[in-house]
Amino acid sequence: MAIVEHLASLLRKPIETSDEAGERSVSTQKTEDESGNTVIVAPPEFRFMYPEFLPDPAPETRNRLREKLERMDMLQRRSVIEIPEFYTGSIMAVTVADANSPNKFARFVGICIQRGGSGLRAWFILRNVVDKQGVEILYEMYCPLIQKIEVLRLERRLDESLLYLRDALPEYSTFPLNMEQERRLNNSVVPINPIKVKLRPRPWLERWERQNLQGVEDLNLPQRFYDKAEKVAKPWEKYDLMLHYRKTIPAEEQEKIFAEVHSQLQQQELKRKLRRRRGFDNEQ
Amino acid sequence: MNQADLSKLVSALRIAVKPKPRLLSCPEGPAGRLKKLRATVTALVKYERIELNYPRADEAQGYAERLISDAIRNGDCHKHTMEMADYWLNEKQLVHKLFKVLVPRYQNYNSSFTRLVLGPKTYPGYYAGTAILELKGNPFPALQPENHNYHYWLHNVLLEEAKKEFRSAREERNAGTTESVTTES
Repeated sequence: MAIVEHLASLLRKPIETSDEAGERSVSTQKTEDESGNTVIVAPPEFRFMYPEFLPDPAPETRNRLREKLERMDMLQRRSVIEIPEFYTGSIMAVTVADANSPNKFARFVGICIQRGGSGLRAWFILRNVVDKQGVEILYEMYCPLIQKIEVLRLERRLDESLLYLRDALPEYSTFPLNMEQERRLNNSVVPINPIKVKLRPRPWLERWERQNLQGVEDLNLPQRFYDKAEKVAKPWEKYDLMLHYRKTIPAEEQEKIFAEVHSQLQQQELKRKLRRRRGFDNEQ
Repeated sequence: MNQADLSKLVSALRIAVKPKPRLLSCPEGPAGRLKKLRATVTALVKYERIELNYPRADEAQGYAERLISDAIRNGDCHKHTMEMADYWLNEKQLVHKLFKVLVPRYQNYNSSFTRLVLGPKTYPGYYAGTAILELKGNPFPALQPENHNYHYWLHNVLLEEAKKEFRSAREERNAGTTESVTTES
């Protein structure tokens, strides 16, 4: 009973206001609700920066209490370790605790080709080519074994999923394992890399001609492939409003979720910035 | 476990949305399903009250609500909303009706924009029965009679309390007389 009461009191807790604004463009937006009280609203970029905070839209598996508890646990984990902002196409380095390796840590550098999952089960896949062998590792973002996640190059690509790199020439997936973190010129905008990747000749793992990929060069296939793709395509899905609705979390719910977590995320970011600045000053 | 789609922002619908869509079988298959629903949504926007079979009405209600909520949220200068309105409304004058008549009508609504009322189910006939799908605020007389007696109205609250008082007073009186009866005997 005591546990249930404690959880109920958490749900009743009002949203905390934060007077500090981060250095980046992530700033608090205060809006007035009907009764005239200021309500903290997270900036709209949050849904791209922290997509794992949004739950899985399938109604069969939704459980509001579980989602709330997961968000609390996610924030707790984020206070211990820095999980930086990244997108598909960013080059990252992950250090994991490994009992069997000589250093007890295993570090892997790769390009993020896909990210998914929601809540504590959020994951991302890093791809690299090591000794002419393509290697992909799936990391769960909130796994306690992960010691450090660094984003060496923060950028986006023209597609949300870069699985076609498996069928591309190896040079597009090769990154040096001792790559250093690159300094960003413009801090507020994440650059989009408009690179068009060249694929190896067929056979491929998937029928890329059917997927409307923006980030690949012209596939140069015989016309019959494109004809079959047209025959098999579902052009009406573009207009299926209820299909889109069932795949998304409504905007009002998104706002509520991010209003809940954003003040804590901002405070964590600020503390990290101060720690970094202090560390820099101490070095000097 | 899938991540929610982030490409578009949608307003929450204020109707009960079933987890899986109905297939609405037809000779053209999945392509024909949207074609059928397009005709229904066009008719709903045109006539504001239509009678049809329940399953199709239920599906079309969702699409109509989505169309109107997108129009309210994004307005008529939004490219995607215009494309959707152009696709879903077969008659182009209804696109004007959507943005110029329906959007101002439903701007400040806190409830759903459509009402689905179950209609007559004649035997023998279609198993699921008929339904009447209408846009709220239409000029026709109401389908269901208005309830003119709510328990939370002041005079009803006072009457309920008066009844409770009367009953408790009567019980006390009865208890008093029975006690006196027992003491006498």
